[in-house]
Amino acid sequence: MSNGHAGRNVVIGILALQGAFAEHQAMLQKISSCKCKIVITLVRTVDDLAKCDALVIPGGESTTIALLARLAGLLEPLRDFLKRKPVWGTCAGAILLAQSVENTKKGGQELLGGMSIAIARNGWGSQVESFEVPLEVEGLREPERPFTGIFIRAPVVLSLDPSPSDPPLQVIARLSPHCLPQAVAQDLSDEDPTDPRDPRTVVALRQGLHLLTTFHPELTKDNRFHDYFVHQCVLPTLD
Amino acid sequence: MSTASGTVTPNASTPPILHGVGSAALPSVAPSRSKEPRDGNTSLGTFGVKSGLAQMLKGGVIMDVINAEQARIAEEAGACAVMALERVPADIRADGGVARMSDPAMIKKIVHAVTIPVMAKVRIGHFVEAQILQAVGVDYIDESEVLTPADEQHHINKHAFKVPFVCGCRNLGEALRRISEGAAFIRTKGEAGTGNVVEAVRHERAVMSDIRKASAMNEEELYAFAKDIGAPFHLLKETARLKRLPVVNFAAGGIATPADAALMMQLGCDGVFVGSGIFKSGDPAKRARAIVQAVTHYNNPKILADISCDLGEAMVGLTIDKDIKGGRMASRGW
Repeated sequence: MSNGHAGRNVVIGILALQGAFAEHQAMLQKISSCKCKIVITLVRTVDDLAKCDALVIPGGESTTIALLARLAGLLEPLRDFLKRKPVWGTCAGAILLAQSVENTKKGGQELLGGMSIAIARNGWGSQVESFEVPLEVEGLREPERPFTGIFIRAPVVLSLDPSPSDPPLQVIARLSPHCLPQAVAQDLSDEDPTDPRDPRTVVALRQGLHLLTTFHPELTKDNRFHDYFVHQCVLPTLD
Repeated sequence: MSTASGTVTPNASTPPILHGVGSAALPSVAPSRSKEPRDGNTSLGTFGVKSGLAQMLKGGVIMDVINAEQARIAEEAGACAVMALERVPADIRADGGVARMSDPAMIKKIVHAVTIPVMAKVRIGHFVEAQILQAVGVDYIDESEVLTPADEQHHINKHAFKVPFVCGCRNLGEALRRISEGAAFIRTKGEAGTGNVVEAVRHERAVMSDIRKASAMNEEELYAFAKDIGAPFHLLKETARLKRLPVVNFAAGGIATPADAALMMQLGCDGVFVGSGIFKSGDPAKRARAIVQAVTHYNNPKILADISCDLGEAMVGLTIDKDIKGGRMASRGW
């Protein structure tokens, strides 16, 4: 292991316009690295963003977060940030990272893009359909121990469409096909609902520098996903 | 249904968890689309997903709306959720009479008009209104003192539902009693329909002050304090450890301006409800958007100054005294 980052700070920002940013902050503050000091900061303005080496976009309401980002002049700076630095989107954050989205508010809504997927908001329906389920996740510390996925009015990945010039998509967690929302299953009844490669079962994936989860690791007491983001997505970019 | 949530919720693992679908006392009133269980391993309606939705609403504004058009204005203005009701509290005060749950047809229209979560109110203790709203598929139920109470002794047993509940409080004891009954989200009562923030400030200060007192206490003192404020000991102990309520805490009742909203945030709230303050004002869309920005930038007076300009007329406020029309709503419930 090189020790080239000793003494350097790595600044991880959390977009703090609306939603569960404090939960991400509490989780990330527990992560340490022998390579460098990790500093966590909340991002509400363009100046805040400029200090960051990486960013987490939390869960919340994607329409609210997008509007507040536009009013704060953050949309273009965020799109530019996505081209250069690692970003992790959870739930609403995952929606903002998608290339296209279904079930938008009337008149559509603004996205940041950055990952070559299509996503549907509120894929399971209203809050009474929100659920918890144990997930097997590739690449986490202690991989034999399942990770509790908390899905709250969660989005569903509809398709993976990387163009040849995009970095490859790497799926790191899937749901059992039996957990899929019935409405989606009926809409696409011509497809085999038990196909293990069905994109709709994808709940966590990586592309290039970025990480996306449709569920909420920040609502658990298990920091393995935050550890994964820091060690697999953020720290390697500092080399 | 398993109760796996006990080990994963960060801040509310202590209340006992019951599930609407599995409990014997109440009929299962889940919406039709969830008739078939998806998988033996999934758990619907756990306390983790109930309090988790409230966590996703933090830093946001929940707006009262009375029809689909208002709901769309609220969504465009950046509301993180809407509260569907037939009359805003200011009109309930003015009209008098018994205020009840709204017509489910009107709530469904609002559910179809917007993509953000939709909440609706039931009367205190009226668990059948709550069963109906769960069947309609609302995302959150407010067991609210703004409607005329159906039961002066008992609140709803909220553990028995899959849909989560928010409840009002005036102090820490009341907040913890509601959480003990299954509320996954707490708000101040304030004094709804007045456009006067003084009661919301009183209630939030009372909650925060008692939390600060409790966090300095040893175990013996906590037992005595739990008795004094009528709170379950285990929830008081958890609150003292966390130095905050174990669920999300919003301000409500009398918030009418961006400055009111930022005041409540600086006093320690996680977000705000705005009832009559938006659609009883001169320019609802503009005021709604300004209040949304105020909740995000509550600690930045320069931004607050910018967004507070030219908002048109605020709602007409009421002085809160013993003769107030419609009475003191905050005194309903215990």
